[in-house]
Amino acid sequence: MNAGAAAAAAPAYAELHCLSNFTFLRGASHPHELVHQAVALGYRALALTDECSVAGVVRAHMAAREQPLKLLIGAEFRLTCGLKFAALAINRQGYAQLCRLITRARRAAVKGEYRLSRADLGDAALSECFILWLPGRVVQAEEAQWLVARFGQRLRLAAELLREGGDAARLRELTRLGAQHRVALVACGDVHMHVRARRPLQDALTAIRCGVPVAAAGARLYPNGERYLREPQRLERLYPQELLAESVRVAEACHFSLDELRYEYPRELVPPGHTAASYLRELTEAGARWRWPAGVPAGERRALEHELALIAELSYEAYFLTVHDIVAWARSRAILCQGRGSAANSRVCYCLGITSVDPQRGAALLFERFISKERNEPPDIDIDFEHERREEVLQYVYAKYGRERAALAATVIMYRPRSALRDLGKVFGLSVAESGKLAKVMQWWDGSAAMSERMRAAGFDISAPWLRRLLPLAQELVAHPGFPRHLSQHVGGFVIAAGLLEDLVPVENAAMPERTVVQWDKDDLNDLGLLKVDLLALGMLSALRRAFDLVNAYRGTSHSLGTLTAEDPRVYDMICAADTVGVFQIESRAQMAMLPRLKPRCYYDLVIEVAIVRPGPIQGDMVHPYLRRRMGQEQVEYPGEEVREVLHRTLGVPLFQEQVMQIAIVAAGFTPGEADALRRAMGAWKRTGGLDAFRERLLVGMAQKGYPAEFAERIYRQMLGFGDYGFPESHALSFALLVYDSAWLKHYEPAAFCCALLNSQPMGFYAPAQLVRDARAHGVEVRAVDACVSEWDSTLERGEDGEPVLRLGLRLVKSLTAAGVQRLRAARAARAFASVQDLSARAGLHRDDLEALAAAGAFASLSGNRHLAFWEVAGTERELPLRFADTAGTLAREGRPLLPLPTEGQGIVADYAALGLTLGRHPLALLRPRLAAAALLPARELKAAANGSRVRTAGIVLMRQRPGTASGVTFLTLEDESGQVNVIVWERIGREQRPALLESRLLEVHGELQQQEGVCHLIAHRLIDRSALLGDLLTRSRDFH
Amino acid sequence: MSLKSVHSSPAPLQVPAEPVLPASTPRLAALEPAAAAAQAGGELWAGLHLPDLANEEKLRSLAAVLQGFTPRVSLEPPDGVVLEVRGSLHLFAGVEGTRRRLLAACADLAQPAVLSFAPTPLAALAAARAGRSLTVLSHAQLTGQLSSLPLSVLRWPQPLVERLARTGVRTVGAALRLPRAGFARRFGAGQLASLDALTASTRVVRRLFQPRERFRRRRELSCELTNHEWLLNAFMPLLQELEQFLRARASGVMQLECHLLHREAPATCCVLNLAAPGGAAAQLAALLRVRLETIVLPGPVRALELRAVTLLPRASRAQALWQPGEHGGSPGSEAHELIERLRARLGEDALHGLTVLAGHRPERTWARSTPPAVSAPAGTAPVQMSSGPRPLWLLPQPQPLEVRAGQPQRDGALTLLSEPERIESGWWDGGDIARDYYTACDAHGVRLWVFRERHAPHGWFLHGIFG
Repeated sequence: MNAGAAAAAAPAYAELHCLSNFTFLRGASHPHELVHQAVALGYRALALTDECSVAGVVRAHMAAREQPLKLLIGAEFRLTCGLKFAALAINRQGYAQLCRLITRARRAAVKGEYRLSRADLGDAALSECFILWLPGRVVQAEEAQWLVARFGQRLRLAAELLREGGDAARLRELTRLGAQHRVALVACGDVHMHVRARRPLQDALTAIRCGVPVAAAGARLYPNGERYLREPQRLERLYPQELLAESVRVAEACHFSLDELRYEYPRELVPPGHTAASYLRELTEAGARWRWPAGVPAGERRALEHELALIAELSYEAYFLTVHDIVAWARSRAILCQGRGSAANSRVCYCLGITSVDPQRGAALLFERFISKERNEPPDIDIDFEHERREEVLQYVYAKYGRERAALAATVIMYRPRSALRDLGKVFGLSVAESGKLAKVMQWWDGSAAMSERMRAAGFDISAPWLRRLLPLAQELVAHPGFPRHLSQHVGGFVIAAGLLEDLVPVENAAMPERTVVQWDKDDLNDLGLLKVDLLALGMLSALRRAFDLVNAYRGTSHSLGTLTAEDPRVYDMICAADTVGVFQIESRAQMAMLPRLKPRCYYDLVIEVAIVRPGPIQGDMVHPYLRRRMGQEQVEYPGEEVREVLHRTLGVPLFQEQVMQIAIVAAGFTPGEADALRRAMGAWKRTGGLDAFRERLLVGMAQKGYPAEFAERIYRQMLGFGDYGFPESHALSFALLVYDSAWLKHYEPAAFCCALLNSQPMGFYAPAQLVRDARAHGVEVRAVDACVSEWDSTLERGEDGEPVLRLGLRLVKSLTAAGVQRLRAARAARAFASVQDLSARAGLHRDDLEALAAAGAFASLSGNRHLAFWEVAGTERELPLRFADTAGTLAREGRPLLPLPTEGQGIVADYAALGLTLGRHPLALLRPRLAAAALLPARELKAAANGSRVRTAGIVLMRQRPGTASGVTFLTLEDESGQVNVIVWERIGREQRPALLESRLLEVHGELQQQEGVCHLIAHRLIDRSALLGDLLTRSRDFH
Repeated sequence: MSLKSVHSSPAPLQVPAEPVLPASTPRLAALEPAAAAAQAGGELWAGLHLPDLANEEKLRSLAAVLQGFTPRVSLEPPDGVVLEVRGSLHLFAGVEGTRRRLLAACADLAQPAVLSFAPTPLAALAAARAGRSLTVLSHAQLTGQLSSLPLSVLRWPQPLVERLARTGVRTVGAALRLPRAGFARRFGAGQLASLDALTASTRVVRRLFQPRERFRRRRELSCELTNHEWLLNAFMPLLQELEQFLRARASGVMQLECHLLHREAPATCCVLNLAAPGGAAAQLAALLRVRLETIVLPGPVRALELRAVTLLPRASRAQALWQPGEHGGSPGSEAHELIERLRARLGEDALHGLTVLAGHRPERTWARSTPPAVSAPAGTAPVQMSSGPRPLWLLPQPQPLEVRAGQPQRDGALTLLSEPERIESGWWDGGDIARDYYTACDAHGVRLWVFRERHAPHGWFLHGIFG
């Protein structure tokens, strides 16, 4: 007998009360597991009724799409009075009512909770839903009356027989109650898991939810494991036939599918008398006149018409208008912004000012690459804003559309190996500290498969019974796609609707005040074709805006994004020399190592530079072929005619995510839809391991078209690399603009550039100490923090030669309060300070602020050295209540104290401690005689040494990096008074000399020098911790993974 | 009948003396007589720094030994002692001789020590703390010798030391060079005073070391006794004296040793344990009575001794207004006393409390607890765990039942009276169960609680019997 026949023989049943793991820490099965199990058991229908949530329904919907199973959408509620029921949407309207009720309940409570009372259930609420009453152990007849009065014919009484003893009596009681109130009984299962084998996990989740070890969870656990999708044959023995039949009748009366959801873009952006299409054309034409004052070139005009036609065909006008509106508003507030992403690089976006990617400056780009008819996915535009002002933009969107119509997308936070072990440790009675220790055995990059191995390595006895019980649960929690833990907010993905958002999807509160999120994440939104605009924060835009403001104020110019002289060879000279500290994207160690080899000479080279130092091209082994071809050492050739079109911009070597997908289409015969599935899989393969299916398809497809297997393998490897961090050309195009602008500023306005970076911290790769050191190396005069002159921000002062001088700002002073600075500046504006006492008395500064200023050396012009400054600060403190006392007289009587003079070393230490940088000598300059005696070379001499020579050096560890692509290699950046040295530590050396590698602040390295194409690396053989030489010099490495 | 007490040191048994106290006169705190300062040649202080010293107990025992050199010994917890030795120098062969003997005394206690001599106690101690073995005999040399010491030897609060360091002041010498008024205004008059104490500009009154008190009394009996009642009566005056002794010190005891000395046999010792610090003679007598009744004496008793080694602070014992159980009066003290009495009578292990445990496994719904816990711990208030019936008598172990033709047997086939109650729980501790419980009836009409294992071989078991 086959499965189908078995299902046919089974009694018809529909499960109407079922929780997934999106009822966090209650449900113990994924939505798709429930769907598949229900299909396997031959259920007629399955209702997903998560508690006050529809967060899991899209996943269930996608799983049920091709299956012979009807999916009902519903939710379970417990009112504040204790009444519990589930609501099932009968139709589209019922679904909207459900979403509205969930929104209402969630918005009334803090994140993660809900609050609903009988008063919230007005007459119209849930009028198009079935209501399943879920009475408690003690049935309250009063509840029945209320429910009958409210819901009448749509009310059903859920009979949940779970073999906890007394099922028969329970059924008799419910039957009597149903007869009394004329409410039909229906069989339900209170399902929490798809198979009974999940019982331990369900118990563990309950313990996590209650915050107790499972052994102490007692009655909070269910007494047995009956809350699973039970076989219909079993149900037949438990329930009267009529109750099972009623479940099917209810299911058949419901006819809502998520496919019915139709998203409509906001309409109000179109002024009266216009259609969306005509208004978009008008804006575009106006933009075209601004972009091409001399008239639109014929080619561009053709392309523009083509794009507008495509947008009209796909009805995306409102989307472009929405993005334009946000960008226009930001611009009106002088907030720098720039679009990127597939649709952003269109001529339409160029004309609308969403991007500044001049279509003629880059390679000619085909619009279809960005918006595809076949793929039928919404266009994708991410907009970056100044990181300090993005919140203003978010609040504008909320204000313009209202919280009823705009909300952030959710991010589902899943269990990861660490969090799973930490929570499960507590389930097994470990203390917080012990479970923390358990969790720490996993690094964030470790896959779950490594769990037991890591445990063993960390000294846990994995044969211990509790660990043998814990590990399988941990595996279940983290197995793809990972058990959801809670909803968080997406970094910036906004959903904006024409009507009420809560008719589409419930909206709930986020952890941050003034933020609301929908219950679906970006994949869910994508699956249902809902529009999302990503409003993101970018530190470099803040820095650029500041730099433009500084330069414009100093020189009377009007520079802004995209207005700087394009393609200036001197800017490229600087880039080629890897003189790029502070420049967007290309300032990292790896980028600096690439610049002298790639030698960018034009905008498109920068696009490639941005994208090439990424895991994708590196793992796909694309970097060296590209460099060889670029340097003419290798013939540019194409493995086939179809790919010439795709790859000619990158000399036949695929570097961008889009190229990989296009190759899949043109060379392996993928449909655009398949290519899109591939793109998504590339983002998630580490968790899913789901690329194997594509590999087969890709290799076979390419072999059929005659491509060499080796090329196909390389493409496949690159897909794996993109999994870590796929970098699309559409994003690199926009980023490259910022690279150029920041490089231009660094070259022509180094003082303003450094000043802007300092005022935008924290951001970027380098700390203020390196930024200031680099600026001084480029001839910028830098003046110290001074309480009599400095503003909060660093500023530009006019130098004697007319060039700007950088004055360090008070914001660099550690633990100085902004409020204190405000009072200081107000007092200073009234009259210049005569002394520290005068300053303290008039500005009314707290002692902590005074000490912070003294520590930073900001009183040098008032009191002399730091010791005297501290003596004076200590003396002023007690004067405050007696402001009019004869302070000066008291001090005169006390006399000048005999304080020791600070040494140069002490000054440097104090500078680092209070400011994080020094304008004095580099600390290693003081140690140089001792280092020289030990035959340790400074960085500058190292660079002059021959390739392959054995050398020794020492430097302060600025950075440690351990990229995932470099298989255990650690990259160190050391700094001394003459420059920086890049050190490569192979895995074996790193393992053997781990303490010196990880803990040194001053590190001595013996090794072999590698000089290649102007790039100098030191391959470490021996590492020696010399931190003791620094004394208590406070330097901290920035460690990156 | 006369009362005598015993000195704590190995002394003759019958020495009439006060309760054990140091040689000096008993008062609230023995203070340094200020007049002693004006001796010829001035004072000379030895400062001992004991870097490895972990507890005050050891410091006290060292101080007790040092009192053999001079009565003027003062503790500087946690790791220092100072003693004035000018008057004792001639007894111990001068400064060098004194140094040797003091260090030897420390070595006897296995304590590494640093020793300095200086005209002020703080200077001697500060030098020792800095690890220096200085001998500064006159005030004139003092400032010069101290100036290179780091400020940390003064043990000022760390934030203050850091504030001074930021003005560049890191040594005692740098601090002494600062203007006095300016220093006091910035860093506090207390700190200025401690600088002054260092250089002896002012004199600091020191509290002298006193050994700790304990109670130890012995009573010789005029005739040998064997009768428990008489023995108890003989103990009574000792107990009353203990009560007064404790009340005067607002202390109590939790453990009391009662020794009964025999002519031939080794002494019989019974130890009374209290549930809370106490000391009322009546309470102790009641406990002692119960204990004495359980003891078999090896012979007649000729002397009694009472020892209380550890005194604990005790809150004054006010009587509750209401009696226990009356108007919500708490069952506190009487319950304690009952428990103490029962434990004294029946043995420590004979008494236990009962705790209700929340959990679905029938055999794990209760547990023993140590008295006086008589109620369920917080958070585990009794909850209705199940709608199913539970028998009054649960067997310690389920008993396997014979099965015939699929029917469980116990003196014939059992009749199942109920629907199954399924219990599946306990996977986390290795005691996982998966059972279907039934109420069954045997041939005699006795109602039984039986279950069938859900896993193969699906055995039947008897787990309880209803009334």
